Amino acid sequence: MGDLEGRVACITGGTRGIGRAIAEGFLGAGARVVINGRDQAKGNAAIASMNAADRCWFQPGDIMKREDCEALVDATVQHYGRIDVLVANAGGASGHAPVAELSDEAVAEALLWNFWHTFWVARRALHYMIPQGFGRILCVSSVEGKVGKPGLANYVAAKHAVNGLVKSLAHEVGAQGITVNALCPGAIETDIMRANGPGAAAAMGLTYQQLLDVFAAESAIQRLNEVEDVAVVALLLASDAGAGITGSLISIDGGTAPY
Amino acid sequence: MGKLEGKVACVTGGTRSIGRGMVEAFLAEGARVVVNGRDPEKGRRCLQELAAGDRAAFYAGDAAKQRDVEGLIDFTIDTFGQLDICCLNSGGVKNAAPIADMTDEEWNLEIDWNLNQVFWGMRKAFAHMLPRRSGRIIVTSSVEGKLGKAGLAGYVATKHAVNGLVKAAAREVGTMGITVNALLPGIIETDIVRETGPASAQAMGLGTYDKLIETFVQHSAIKRPNTVEEVAAVAVMLATDEARNMTGCLFPIDGGAMPY
Repeated sequence: MGDLEGRVACITGGTRGIGRAIAEGFLGAGARVVINGRDQAKGNAAIASMNAADRCWFQPGDIMKREDCEALVDATVQHYGRIDVLVANAGGASGHAPVAELSDEAVAEALLWNFWHTFWVARRALHYMIPQGFGRILCVSSVEGKVGKPGLANYVAAKHAVNGLVKSLAHEVGAQGITVNALCPGAIETDIMRANGPGAAAAMGLTYQQLLDVFAAESAIQRLNEVEDVAVVALLLASDAGAGITGSLISIDGGTAPY
Repeated sequence: MGKLEGKVACVTGGTRSIGRGMVEAFLAEGARVVVNGRDPEKGRRCLQELAAGDRAAFYAGDAAKQRDVEGLIDFTIDTFGQLDICCLNSGGVKNAAPIADMTDEEWNLEIDWNLNQVFWGMRKAFAHMLPRRSGRIIVTSSVEGKLGKAGLAGYVATKHAVNGLVKAAAREVGTMGITVNALLPGIIETDIVRETGPASAQAMGLGTYDKLIETFVQHSAIKRPNTVEEVAAVAVMLATDEARNMTGCLFPIDGGAMPY
C-alpha cells in the first residue's frame, strides 16, 4: 500500500526532468497522475515508458497560457474525479542578460513560465481543494528563489515571486487542510538546463561547463543535484505525513542556500 | 523491506516525544536503534513498549554531559557494530526567564543541553563516519532557531547556534558521504513542553500554559500544533540513501510559522 493510494496528482510538465521524476515517484506510491506538456507524442512516449497507462493521463497544453493551465486542472478532475496534489513544476527562463541589457520579453517570459503559470494552476486547483478540505500544492522553485546571481535576474526574480506566493497562500488556506510549499533545488542538468544553460552561462560570462562548475562549487556536496532528490521530498510533502509542513521553502540543493 | 534496513541509529532523548517518534519510525523501517535517556527505569519501560527485541537498546546518559553524549556514540558502535544515523534530538529549557533574571546555571545548562550536545555528538560521530564515508547527522532544532521570543533567550540563542553549526558542518563533510541537517519543528505538546511550559509562559509574560500554546499556534498557518509523527517522517526521509544530496538544510516542520 503506497503513501499516495487513492490520491490524484496533477503535474505541469512531467514528461521529462524533475516533473518526470516526481510523476514516477507518485505512481510508485500508488497515485493516479496527470502529466502535461505541449507535445502529445512526447506525452504518449512518457506514459508508455513509465508503464503506467492505467494510472497516468497526459493532458496537452502550453502552461504559459492561462486557459491551458486551467484546462489542465479541470481535465485532472474530469479524468480522475478529484485533484489532491498539484505540482507546479514547469519552469525556466531564456534570453538571459545583465539587467542593463535585459529585454522586456525575457522578463515577461520568465514570469509567465514560472510565476503566472504557478498562480493560474494553484488558483484553479483551490476551487476543488477548498471544498474537499484537502490539498497539497508543491511549487518547484529553485535555490535562485532564495539567492541571486548576476545575469539571471529574470529567473531569480520570477522564482522569488513564486516563493512569495507560496508563503502567502500557505497562510490563506493553512486551516483548511491544504498545504503549500516550494521545493528549491540546486542546479540539475535536465533537458531544460541543457537547452537554456548555455545562454545563461553567456550572460554570466562563462561557458556552459563553467556554469555547471560554479553551481557545484557553491554547494557543500561539490556536485549538481539530481531529479530524484526532488522527487523524494515531493513524495513526503504529498503524503499524509506532510500535513504539518506548509509555507516552507525547502532547500534541496546540497547545502547551497544560506537559509 | 524497510527504507532503513541494515542501518544503525542512535537518538538522544529517545524515550519520549519527538525522539521516541524517531525511534519508532526508524525501527518500523528496519533500522537498529539505541535509545538514550537519563532514567534507566524509563529506558527499560521504553524498550518494553517498543517490543523490538534485540533491534533496540537503551543507553542511560545525560545529553547535557560530554562524557554521556560521547558514551552513547561508543555504546552504539559497540552494540551494533556501526553508526549510520546520529540523531541529536534532546533539548529544551528548565527554568526559562527574561534575560534580566536569567541565572548562570540555567544559561549554562541550555548551552550544554542544546548546543554543546550537538557539537560533542557530531564530533564523536564524525570520527566513526568519516573513514566509512557514510553517515547522517540529524539535529532537532526549532522554529526558535530562526525566530526569537521574549523570555526564551537561551533557547533561541542556542537553537540559532545549532543551525549555524549544522550549516558549517554540512560544508565540512559534504563530499565525504555524510549529510548534516536540522529539523525545525513548530510547537508540539510534548512531555517536556507540558513540564516546562508553565514556567516558560510566565517568563514570556503570557501567564498560562494554554496561552503559550495558543500563541505558538496563532503564528502558524495550520492553526494547530505540529505532531511528533510529522517530524519523524522527515527524519526518516533524511536518513535514507535517497537523501544523499540533501545537506545543510534547516527543514521546517512548523505549519508555516517561520517567515523564511
